[in-house]
Amino acid sequence: MEQNRETEKKKYTARDRTRILLYLLSGSKRFFALGVVCSMLVSLFNLLNPRIIGYTVDYVLEDTAGGATGPLQEILAFFGGASFLRSNLFVIALLVTAVALFSALFRFLLQFFLAIGVEKFLKRTRDRVFSHILRLPFSWHSENHTGDIIQRCTSDVETIRNFLSEQMISLFRISILIVFALFFMISIHPMLTLAAAAFVPVIIGYSLFFHNRIGSQFLRADEEEGRLSAIAQENLTGVRVVRAFGREVYERERFEKQNSGYTKLWIRIMMLLSAFWASGDLISNLQLLTVMVFGSVLAVQGQLSAGAYISFVFYNSLLSWPVRELGRIISDMSKAGVSIDRIAYILDSEPEKDEEDAAQPELTGDITFSHVTYHYENAPTAPGVLEDVSFTVKAGTTVGILGATGSGKSTLMYLLDRLYDLPEGGGTISIGGTDIRRIRREHLRRNIGMVLQEPFLFSRTLEENIAITGRTEDKKLIRKRVREAAGIASLDHAVARFASGYETRVGERGVTLSGGQKQRTAIAQMLLKDAPIMVFDDSLSAVDAQTDMKIRKALRERIAGATVILIAHRITTLMQADRIIVLDKGRVAEEGTHDELLAMGGIYRRIYDLQLAQDEE
Amino acid sequence: MEEQDQNIKLPFFGITRIFPYVKRYRWIMLLMIVLGCLSSLIDSAYPLFNKYALDHFIGENTLSGLAGFILLYVGILLFQVADNFVAAYLCGKVEMSVDRDLRNAAFNHLQTLSFSYFNQNNVGYIHARVMSDTGKIGVLCAWRMMDIVWHGSYIICVFIMMLTVRVSLALMILALVPLAVIFILFFQKKLVVLNRRVREINSRITGNFNEGITGARSIKTLVVEDRIQSDFEKDTEDMRVTSVRTGRTRALFTSTVTMMSAFALAIVLWQGGQLTAERLMLIGSLSVFLSYTLYLIEPIQFLIQTISALIEIQVNIERLTRLLNTESDVADSPEIVEKYGDTFRPKRENWEKLFGDVEFEDVSFRYPDGEELVLEHFSLKVPQGTNVAIVGETGAGKSTLVNLVCRFFEPTEGRVLIDGRDARERSQLWLHSHIGYVLQTPHLFSGTVRDNLRYGKPDATDEEIREALRLVSADGVVDKMDKGLDSDVGEGGDLLSTGEKQLLSFARALLADPRILVLDEATSSIDTVTERAIQEAIQTVIRGRTSFVIAHRLSTIVDADVILVVQDGKIIEQGTHRELMKKKGAYYELYTRQYEEMIVNLS
Repeated sequence: MEQNRETEKKKYTARDRTRILLYLLSGSKRFFALGVVCSMLVSLFNLLNPRIIGYTVDYVLEDTAGGATGPLQEILAFFGGASFLRSNLFVIALLVTAVALFSALFRFLLQFFLAIGVEKFLKRTRDRVFSHILRLPFSWHSENHTGDIIQRCTSDVETIRNFLSEQMISLFRISILIVFALFFMISIHPMLTLAAAAFVPVIIGYSLFFHNRIGSQFLRADEEEGRLSAIAQENLTGVRVVRAFGREVYERERFEKQNSGYTKLWIRIMMLLSAFWASGDLISNLQLLTVMVFGSVLAVQGQLSAGAYISFVFYNSLLSWPVRELGRIISDMSKAGVSIDRIAYILDSEPEKDEEDAAQPELTGDITFSHVTYHYENAPTAPGVLEDVSFTVKAGTTVGILGATGSGKSTLMYLLDRLYDLPEGGGTISIGGTDIRRIRREHLRRNIGMVLQEPFLFSRTLEENIAITGRTEDKKLIRKRVREAAGIASLDHAVARFASGYETRVGERGVTLSGGQKQRTAIAQMLLKDAPIMVFDDSLSAVDAQTDMKIRKALRERIAGATVILIAHRITTLMQADRIIVLDKGRVAEEGTHDELLAMGGIYRRIYDLQLAQDEE
Repeated sequence: MEEQDQNIKLPFFGITRIFPYVKRYRWIMLLMIVLGCLSSLIDSAYPLFNKYALDHFIGENTLSGLAGFILLYVGILLFQVADNFVAAYLCGKVEMSVDRDLRNAAFNHLQTLSFSYFNQNNVGYIHARVMSDTGKIGVLCAWRMMDIVWHGSYIICVFIMMLTVRVSLALMILALVPLAVIFILFFQKKLVVLNRRVREINSRITGNFNEGITGARSIKTLVVEDRIQSDFEKDTEDMRVTSVRTGRTRALFTSTVTMMSAFALAIVLWQGGQLTAERLMLIGSLSVFLSYTLYLIEPIQFLIQTISALIEIQVNIERLTRLLNTESDVADSPEIVEKYGDTFRPKRENWEKLFGDVEFEDVSFRYPDGEELVLEHFSLKVPQGTNVAIVGETGAGKSTLVNLVCRFFEPTEGRVLIDGRDARERSQLWLHSHIGYVLQTPHLFSGTVRDNLRYGKPDATDEEIREALRLVSADGVVDKMDKGLDSDVGEGGDLLSTGEKQLLSFARALLADPRILVLDEATSSIDTVTERAIQEAIQTVIRGRTSFVIAHRLSTIVDADVILVVQDGKIIEQGTHRELMKKKGAYYELYTRQYEEMIVNLS
């Protein structure tokens, strides 16, 4: 965790952020560029119509402006002159429609290109991040909280998506709109424009200030909601405990207290938001009033025609909303930087990497642990420490390991599978004489069938879970092998009780299996791997003794010739091993066959007596 | 189940079902509606100011009445700003209050539901009802309602204004409205379907992330990175294609809407322009029409979006009200509640002492979601202080008896007697307050060690806590933690190992000093030495208490007063260890098999 915070502290500069963003944008940049071009055209066409309407009022409907001059005159002439247009106003209506058609076309293209670009970007980002996560070392996974990583992969990606497709484009679109509109407005009347534009920085600044201030309140509300949600979650998962202790009243009080605190916080935020919206209305409408009054005065003074006035008011009202949005957009954009950093943290973490000359030898030889020493500093989250552990598992034999919780058994197996790597000077683990650090990880892991104490099931059918390591596509063969393995793992009876049999969906979004069923599924899964080395890490703990025995009997027949490491608490499980190692506080305390260890009268004997004591009566 | 729920249709979108929960706020809501209508009325009046400016100041070339004009405008504006502020604030307040009330109602109702509900619905599903459905309904009652008020009344006001200005032109615009509605409806329908698909794929992708991260260890040991990744990329590709299609439809939608607005504008310019050119209408009136037309289509679009949101929300209303209306299978009768109090208002002064005599009297039982009777005419007397052991294979149904003793379920036929009286004659809380319970998968609450241990006895002193810890050899666990009893156990006890959690939950049960103690395979993943220590503690602790121990290691229960052997959910044998061994039945076989295996290697 500490280490994690250190890494997190790494400061990303604007350049780093751009580098990450460009990396993720590879392949979608041109669509964003096309979007930008389209958005300029949309703004341009949007702003044409008010001008056309204004001219129509001045030169066609009324002649107060005293006739057109310059290029405008030619345009009027092109359409048949003012008097022709006056009796055939539909021509102007068609013109307005045509301009709108272009505006609509470019608006469509803008959104379409953006959709293509954004979705390409999202796919690339998700794929890259996911693939990277899969290849990060296990120590990284245990140091980082699942919820936090998932949040990075989902809501932070979403934040960047909004940044690209909403904020960046809106910022650009609104800026263009402001520039173009101001240009048109200046061409109508510079002084009036100044009066109208004076409000723009005020509105943006005010909105920016507010959004920055309220950001922390939103954050707090999120935290409070998280707490409320956690209370509900714990109450539901612990429903048996709540009922058995009769603590419903306590739970209710706890929930209602948090709930009303959270609600009060939100109501306060709503008050602030309402005040913000209302004052925004006030400023915007005062701006409209200013333009109206000032415009009227100018018109009365003869500086502004009626049509010009209408156009100007149109432009002004077109700007009103976008300008109000600008403050929020700018303040939201600052969040994107943090999200990019959070994703960069994943992408910049060092993945597992084999040495260039990593070997892929046959892994059928003896497994030798030689002076293996491993401390918490190497992996703060490892389940135990190891001190100078040495022993050999002869090829084709079974070695049992017994040890109390936290004695380092699991750590030893993680080291064997290179989930953790032994540091230099921490001894060696070798298979058939080759140091495992010189063996390609993929090759090593493929050749070690490891069954974990708390196995993980994928959100697929039982059959797909069991066959997940299989590399054949032959459906019939898979079926046959899955059923055979399930038989050995004593899973077949349980499966027969499911309505959909092997097609039953398990995992997060499927049927929940019991601990024992999960362990048996994991054993079947491992069998399909056909690995020469098998490791059972306390993997029958949730299975009752009778089933345990049945499985081990079937396994013995099946795995003849494999090298097996068997970790267990039960003497009955261990005693048939060729050799048994007793680990105590990270050291090898005893080693020998079942009989030898019994004769030795040490820890093994004591545990044996404990487990057998009452049976002998 | 979720799939079916999507197509639910309720009368009035199911809104009537939430009336009881919003009744408290009906006057505030009425005020909100009035304020909303007023605000829309003012909005629709603003263009009239412009008309006046054009026709009076500019048209008549005078500035007379300018001061009054500004004063009136500012006056109306200030009124509207205050109106909007109050309406928005009340809206937020109603949203959050309804939200809070519904959450409380759902959460509290859950505390009274029986276990069959929790067996049939998973935690994620129930959690979403409490945390997310309630929020959506809160939004519905406040913002969705106000959206309808704001936009609906705006549209009406605008048409009234237009009609007063120029009837013929107003009717022409009105004729365009149905066309717009049909267009918008068409796209909206398409978008709803597409958005739903996007959401589905999105939740699949989140699930994939979850799997890739929580399953990291398994993925690595199985070496299936490539397969997991290629499946993931299939989902993201599916997402890309669907999202682009959604984006295209939405783009077509918005550009069509813009087009329609421009079309209406062109008609006003053409027809209204003609009227103006013929001096039948003032320039100001033309400008009013132009601005009305420009801003008419948006409210129509919002209104339709609101309606489609109402359709979407039916599912949430249905699910939440179904939860709120679920009746508990196990409920105390009104007379019992009258005497002993209910879950939240116990009348402890009326509670009798519980001694711990348990008797099954001709009990038959079928799980509410099952078809087969798992107990048939079962009778058993468990006098106070008796130690009952339940053994059998994994999944054989060993928890059934315990569920009945704890009254988590009630017998289908027959009675369970506690101290000689039917369990139903006393309240659930009375019974539960006297039961200690240790689960196979221990559950701790986030908080300190002390908080957790006090769960069963809120007023326990530190001495009592330490004594309980010592009895189950858990004092070592706490000593190891840096803040002792004040140490945080993490979310759900995450900072502790399973074995440590079990030890603590055991201490928690002891501290409650229960008359009846239930141990549900509590010793399965503690190492032998620790387990032995617990076994010894159990022996001291169960003395004088009625206890039910579910175990799969027979060596631990040979001293039990009664051993029940369960197979396929049914009790097939019962007796003491000696009796059952003599009988040479299923127990004998189970036992000797475990025993023989040890002996084999002794020789």
